[in-house]
Amino acid sequence: MASKWWRWQQKSAPYLFISPFFVLFGIFLFYPFLYSFYLSMVQWNGGKTKTFVGMDNFKRVIQDDVFWLTIENGLIIMIIYVPLMLLLATLVAVLLNSNWVKGKGFFRMSLFTPNIMAVVAVAFVFSIMLNGDNGLINVILKQLGLIDVSILWLDSPVWARVSVAAMVFYRWMGYNMILILAGLQSIPKDIYESAYVDGATPFQVLIRITLPLLKKILVFCVILSTLGSFGLFTEPFVLTKGGPLNSTTTPVLLIYQESFTNLNFGYASAIAIMFFFLMMIFTFIQMRVTRDND
Amino acid sequence: MSSAPITATTSPKKSLKPRDLINKGLAYLLLIVITFASLFPLLWMISSSLKERRDIFLNPPMWIPANPQWNNFTQLFTERAFGTVLYNSFFIAILHTVLALFFCTLAGYAFAKYTFKFQGILFGIVLASMMVPSETTIIPMFEIYRSFGLIDNPWGVIVANVASAFGIFFMRQYSAGIHTEMLEASRIDGCSEFRIFTSIVLPNLRPALASLGIITFVNQWNNFLWPLIVLRSPSEQTISLAIRTLESGARTPYELIMAGSVISIIPLLLIVLLFQKQLIGGLMDGAVKG
Repeated sequence: MASKWWRWQQKSAPYLFISPFFVLFGIFLFYPFLYSFYLSMVQWNGGKTKTFVGMDNFKRVIQDDVFWLTIENGLIIMIIYVPLMLLLATLVAVLLNSNWVKGKGFFRMSLFTPNIMAVVAVAFVFSIMLNGDNGLINVILKQLGLIDVSILWLDSPVWARVSVAAMVFYRWMGYNMILILAGLQSIPKDIYESAYVDGATPFQVLIRITLPLLKKILVFCVILSTLGSFGLFTEPFVLTKGGPLNSTTTPVLLIYQESFTNLNFGYASAIAIMFFFLMMIFTFIQMRVTRDND
Repeated sequence: MSSAPITATTSPKKSLKPRDLINKGLAYLLLIVITFASLFPLLWMISSSLKERRDIFLNPPMWIPANPQWNNFTQLFTERAFGTVLYNSFFIAILHTVLALFFCTLAGYAFAKYTFKFQGILFGIVLASMMVPSETTIIPMFEIYRSFGLIDNPWGVIVANVASAFGIFFMRQYSAGIHTEMLEASRIDGCSEFRIFTSIVLPNLRPALASLGIITFVNQWNNFLWPLIVLRSPSEQTISLAIRTLESGARTPYELIMAGSVISIIPLLLIVLLFQKQLIGGLMDGAVKG
């Protein structure tokens, strides 16, 4: 009896250990994912009745200018901050990886701090600093004589995107710096030593050795930033409410507004599915492009 | 003339030095400037939280509150139920973290230290589940939650993503480092598999558990979109939601919003100061191994 139980618990242990994941995965991810395909084909205001409408929701999404604007917004916000952020993150990581910089722990910690501060709290302090006439940023720029008229940081389509991008930059620079630093530290030291023995300059070492070896992690950073930009929610939700004129509405914010504000749950589901496939395509393209470069 | 050879031999060394100094000076300048930029918004948040509303927007700016308004903080607790809200936030973040550690370690350890049928496919499913952004399933999830009675229920936030693929992947990497001989020895001693997990595996993974625990706690504390959908009534709100609720009303009480924000980041600042090694170390390990 005991030995039978003994063999059973030994054989079934790994399955029992992984079962919580699969139960939760089934209920809270796989089933909802499949179910969202059904929801995308109904008209539903959140009440009892769902009316099947076939592909109508998708036809509407494809013709919906606001949907494509959200994709455009994601791209523009990405272009504003990603290259600059990764450049600065790489530069700082290289500095913090060199042996002569003092106080590395302090710099690393301070630069990483914005990433773990509550998004809502950071968004509100940004909204106060960027606010109207006497927000801190406008006041400082005026005192420095750089501008005469206040910049409408949150109320003009162009600057609102810059403001959202600036906040994303602020929150994620340190995180990317840490990832890149991890990449740098995994490069064996003797590669550098032999390069310097062969007479390479520090700049050549950076271009020829460090950056190529960092490529994997930089690609990872770019993919994370892409998904992050289109998936932005809290930043525009608090800072700009997606405005002005939807210039900072992201796909996720649109899904939220269409469902929980406008009660078009079916239509919002169709947007969510379009969004999902677009994200898959973006990730796939980025992985392909970087592979072909090799 | 006699001094010429001397300058010729020393100049290469000496000419490098000033340039080096300038470069190093610039490097430090850059580090100091961006460090200041990283911390400044938090300082402005603290400063604004102690001001009267009209003093937040002044030209020239008031850097240090002339007359610290501690009242802003007490008002949140007496009039806006921030005590309840803080309790909710801690309750949700702590329970979520404990459960996440348990489930992720169980699964990560199983994938690292056992060989079993369909292992490859099952782990493939774990990795593939990372590909579905949770934002795309909020609508079906909302309906499922409604039928389970999880709307306006803290458990609705606690169970969401509690066995995350990231956590399983993370614990699998660390579990691989546990010596198999140690596990075999306890098997011979008659320990059941679950007993081995609790008495050998968990103690050995303490550093990894600390890292993943802190990362999970921070993410849950800062979570916004899903709590916004699930927790509808004010008494169930987390602190991030409560700060957002302050915004509604005729005049936005920016001084209260800032005070609430300061309260919400105090636990996070403590984590940065006390556990930065686990936090950053965990992230760096995850990056290189992934």
